[in-house]
Amino acid sequence: MKDWSLAPARDRDLPGIERHRSLMRENGLASSVLRFVMWSLLRPALSLWHRPLITGREHLPKSRPFILVANHTSHLDGILLASLLPTSWRDHIFPIAASDTFFEKRPVAAFAARFLNALAIRRCGAHNHDLEELRRRLNQEKEVFIIFPEGTRSRTGEMLAFRSGIGRLVAKTNVPVVPCYLDGCFRAWPPGKHFSKPLSIGISIGPPMIFEDCSDDRAGWDSIAKCLKAAVENLAERQQASSLPGAADQLP
Amino acid sequence: MNAATAERFFGYEHAFTHPVTRGIVIFLVSALVLTPMIFMGLRRTVQIAAATYAELWARWRSWIWISMALIVPILLGAAWVITGVFMLSLLCYREYARATGIFREKMISLSVVLGICLISFAVIDNYPRLFFATPVLGIGLIAIVTIPQDCPKGFIQRVALGVMGYLFFGFSFGYLGLMTSDPLYRPLILLLLLGVEMNDVFAYCSGRLFGGRKLLPGTSPGKTVSGAIGAVVLTTCMMVITGHFFMFPGTPMDRWPMLIILGTGISVFGQFGDLLLSSIKRDIGIKDLGHLLPGHGGLLDRFDSLVIITPLYYHFLSLVLGPLGNGQAERIISGGPLP
Repeated sequence: MKDWSLAPARDRDLPGIERHRSLMRENGLASSVLRFVMWSLLRPALSLWHRPLITGREHLPKSRPFILVANHTSHLDGILLASLLPTSWRDHIFPIAASDTFFEKRPVAAFAARFLNALAIRRCGAHNHDLEELRRRLNQEKEVFIIFPEGTRSRTGEMLAFRSGIGRLVAKTNVPVVPCYLDGCFRAWPPGKHFSKPLSIGISIGPPMIFEDCSDDRAGWDSIAKCLKAAVENLAERQQASSLPGAADQLP
Repeated sequence: MNAATAERFFGYEHAFTHPVTRGIVIFLVSALVLTPMIFMGLRRTVQIAAATYAELWARWRSWIWISMALIVPILLGAAWVITGVFMLSLLCYREYARATGIFREKMISLSVVLGICLISFAVIDNYPRLFFATPVLGIGLIAIVTIPQDCPKGFIQRVALGVMGYLFFGFSFGYLGLMTSDPLYRPLILLLLLGVEMNDVFAYCSGRLFGGRKLLPGTSPGKTVSGAIGAVVLTTCMMVITGHFFMFPGTPMDRWPMLIILGTGISVFGQFGDLLLSSIKRDIGIKDLGHLLPGHGGLLDRFDSLVIITPLYYHFLSLVLGPLGNGQAERIISGGPLP
């Protein structure tokens, strides 16, 4: 028989919006049902509206935990990446979102927490214990994170430098990081617009990378960020090459 | 739906016909109006710490909400009571599940919610046989839903926790809804609520007045033996007087032994309900079960006393007076067996 270990919800003592914002948030049946309804509607809608063209799907790990890392140009990015993963994982997929955008106002925070399952992190000066908590969720609870290491949506469509926070999560762990490149999201839904245009979107997924040997210090984190940016840029080049007119004929 | 059922469900016009309903509502409203004056008087005469004073006001504000949420549906009609009880069951189960950790087992929670829906259906339908079958049906569901996960580790724990939550907060509270099948449900429910809540007040007051030995310091450090005894004596007196003069004159309940059993029962088992939730809290190691009601804690910290007494109250009255709700139209939605 299992040891009798009654553990109350870790966020039980937090009131209202604090609970949404907390990295210790634990969801129950209600949000699970909400999310089930949302994804049941959103998946077919996304595939009809944006007809995503996916390359490298075989690189997605079959078991948790892992991290998806991608370029960030629109609000579509997170949900498109999440829709690549099995429906039954809906309570285990956490987009990491900026707390100043998604967790300031109560209705937005409730939406981000309940529907998107987003976890709040501060853009600047995230505390060490926040990152500790994220590492704990990743390693012990075997979650999937969706992270945009640029730290913001690109306002021009050009990829920005990757920030080193991703390195602080995965250095010296065996958690695979899967680089992805999203093509066409900027045209479909640039920042400032209210709705997305029904344009086709290309998603390329690269092979998972593990940073077990990288040192857990500033230099190691920076090298991880650089390494991932190079991987995403590589995917971007290949995506653009294959989407040029006539490119399909030239490929071997 | 016939006229009697419609009247029972939605007939707010006759809310105040029974003297007990009138009396309890007037008592409650005047208590809520008078308490702020007592607070202010206390502050003038005796020195109270600012924190205690703020705490008193927080409690009073919570009491306003609690009384509104209890009284308004009861006055409006059975349909609202049943809806209210349904919400109460769900919210109480949620607090319990988040405190015990059973909320992580979503299939168990889902089957408890389905069980609570079934209980509410049986009550709306006025189908007592189905209502009394819901424990077995619900427990069966809770027991089988996690079997397909093929993860027998922790099976006993999750099923036991689920069943406990379902029986206490679904089935037990469901009796409050079931009582609405009787045309006299308003005074009956209000009498129970009055007894249980006043029992808490009496216990608190006589405990503060006499002090002395702790009742069960391991379970609930604040409770004293004198408080428990005082509550039994005062609640029994209150129930005997209300029962004899207003609620049950001319019925088989209007006999001293019956009234005394009712009064002591409400007091003793009300306190046991309180101690039951305290035991759960001490076992987990938490102080309050939630934050919904400032000054009280969670919803369950307020309604804990009802967990044990509600079914006993219903069955005791049914035993003495004949089944509650007898003669009312049954199976309103599902219809009877085919002729």
